[in-house]
Amino acid sequence: MQAADIVTLLVNSLTWAMATFLVAAGLTLVFGTLHILNFSHGGFFMIGAYLAYSLANAIGGAPSIAMYLFGSLVAGVLVAVLGLVVDRLVLRRLAGVDDAYVLIATYALLLVCEGSTKLLWGLNYHSVQPPASLDGAWLLGNAVLPKLSLFIIGAGVIVFVALEYCLNQTRPGRLVKAIAADPWMARLLGVNVRLVYTATVALGFALAGLAGGLLVSNQTLSPTLASAFVIQAFGVIIIGGMGSIAGAFFGSILLGIIDAFGQWVLPGLPGLPFFLAMTLILLLRPQGLMGRRNH
Amino acid sequence: MRGSTFLGGGGRRRDALILLAVVVLGLCVPSFLNRGLVFIAGMIWINAVFGLSFNLLFGLSGVLSFGQAMFFAAGAYATAVFTQQFALPFIPALLLSALVGALLAAVVGLVALRRSEGVYFAILTLAFAELVHLLIANTAVLGRNDGLAGLQRPALGLGGWRIDLAAGDNFYFFIVAMCALLILLIRWIVDTPFGRALQAVKQDPERAEFLGIPVRKHRLAIFTLAGATTATAGALVAPWAQIVTPELAHWANSTSPILYTLLGGSAYFWGPVLGAVVLSAVFYVTRTLVGMSDMVTGLLLLVVVVSLPGGILGLLTRLTRGEGKR
Repeated sequence: MQAADIVTLLVNSLTWAMATFLVAAGLTLVFGTLHILNFSHGGFFMIGAYLAYSLANAIGGAPSIAMYLFGSLVAGVLVAVLGLVVDRLVLRRLAGVDDAYVLIATYALLLVCEGSTKLLWGLNYHSVQPPASLDGAWLLGNAVLPKLSLFIIGAGVIVFVALEYCLNQTRPGRLVKAIAADPWMARLLGVNVRLVYTATVALGFALAGLAGGLLVSNQTLSPTLASAFVIQAFGVIIIGGMGSIAGAFFGSILLGIIDAFGQWVLPGLPGLPFFLAMTLILLLRPQGLMGRRNH
Repeated sequence: MRGSTFLGGGGRRRDALILLAVVVLGLCVPSFLNRGLVFIAGMIWINAVFGLSFNLLFGLSGVLSFGQAMFFAAGAYATAVFTQQFALPFIPALLLSALVGALLAAVVGLVALRRSEGVYFAILTLAFAELVHLLIANTAVLGRNDGLAGLQRPALGLGGWRIDLAAGDNFYFFIVAMCALLILLIRWIVDTPFGRALQAVKQDPERAEFLGIPVRKHRLAIFTLAGATTATAGALVAPWAQIVTPELAHWANSTSPILYTLLGGSAYFWGPVLGAVVLSAVFYVTRTLVGMSDMVTGLLLLVVVVSLPGGILGLLTRLTRGEGKR
């Protein structure tokens, strides 16, 4: 293996990692605060991607990078609105319901997402051209660095830093953390817990939609996108520790590297290193690498 | 809140009569319906056993597994391999397939039940099932992604006489007989002291442990048993569909028994059976409109979890007893 191969492999695994992190961020945020493991998160990510696709189609041609980012934001806002509806109709009613039923209810939501995607956009594969300035690649010696990959890696890092900053340094962010730690005490101190829950759900769904928009050029769109990504996102938040943003970030990098190098060692078995790592972590350290054991 | 008993207040006699009625109804199916519908009826029988096996874990013992497809696929592939590649007779192949399912479940249960509970256990079983799925999809003898096609329906040698299961609706009748036996077995397990101990474990594992019930051993035992019955259901699918593919082990298939069970009513023995019938009907009616079946299934499931926790049977019980809202 030459240095160039290693760089290429590293870029590939980091792209996978940041794409997965973008999806996992909202999932782990909602789990950390509301203790709902949202199976449908992948579904809303997929809807975000399809919305961005429709938007790109409406405009036509290869979008500029500003339009691409704008489209992602619009997808994020629209999915956040869907999140408010879902919160109102479903998530609120799951308070106090057994964990198993919560998991099944959000799986039902995933089915609804997949069903509506098939009904609205059909079964065909679709793709969106990346913006002209992200098309192509840079060469670093013999290593190929696709610009779109670097864009996704950058987007993942920016979302991570922004989330960490907001949760740790701003007042609303600290409220979310306080409620995650002890909702009862927060309520006693006069915090409107219900409102913060709703805002967290909206933010979590907005992140799903944003991820859909940002990643829309990175893979073909099909109704199987949701389940593929939700399992990957489950994997990284389990590895990192469920509910921790930093855990999801470093968990996805670790899993990305394990998966890429694992496939280099075991070329015949794609995906196997990912599930092996996920299974081992669940068995040996169920609270994840960066999580605390509290539920 | 969900404290109603697993048996739904009925007795052995009543369940025996229901089974008898269902079997008689099932045996009449080929005289009234065309081949395509008879195939679906066979799948409903198999799925009913798949659902009942899942409910041994969920409704009876309070264990949520999101990976039952791995045992189903193990049984299907085992039968395909034993009958086609090793040319074993069908009945021994069926028994060996059950054994394969039990062994796989024992291994998975031994590791998974020891380390995790609740949602973690659900995700862990999902990960194990995906491992099995990947292994099947990448193993040359198992046909990789294409699976094994062109499976022959076998002949049964019973003492002197020989029944060709490939002829007419014979294999359908065989499925009905096997599934009725499996349903009897599952109903019997529920009624044993072991089954009652599991109900106690579901209600309150800590108290059950204090009362001297070996919680972990009992959970492992029921997980293994459910693995065996699930694998037997899977074993029936191989000659019925005449093809096995890695999709059988995909986690989407793990959710099928969950759907049957919750829709029918996880607190009732017959819940998964009713759920399998209703969902198959939904799939059949919506088969031409892509995406509609997901939509309807998802919405039904949501309604059940959010406002109708007893499923269809729960609703029926409430209506027939004339009770108001609890």
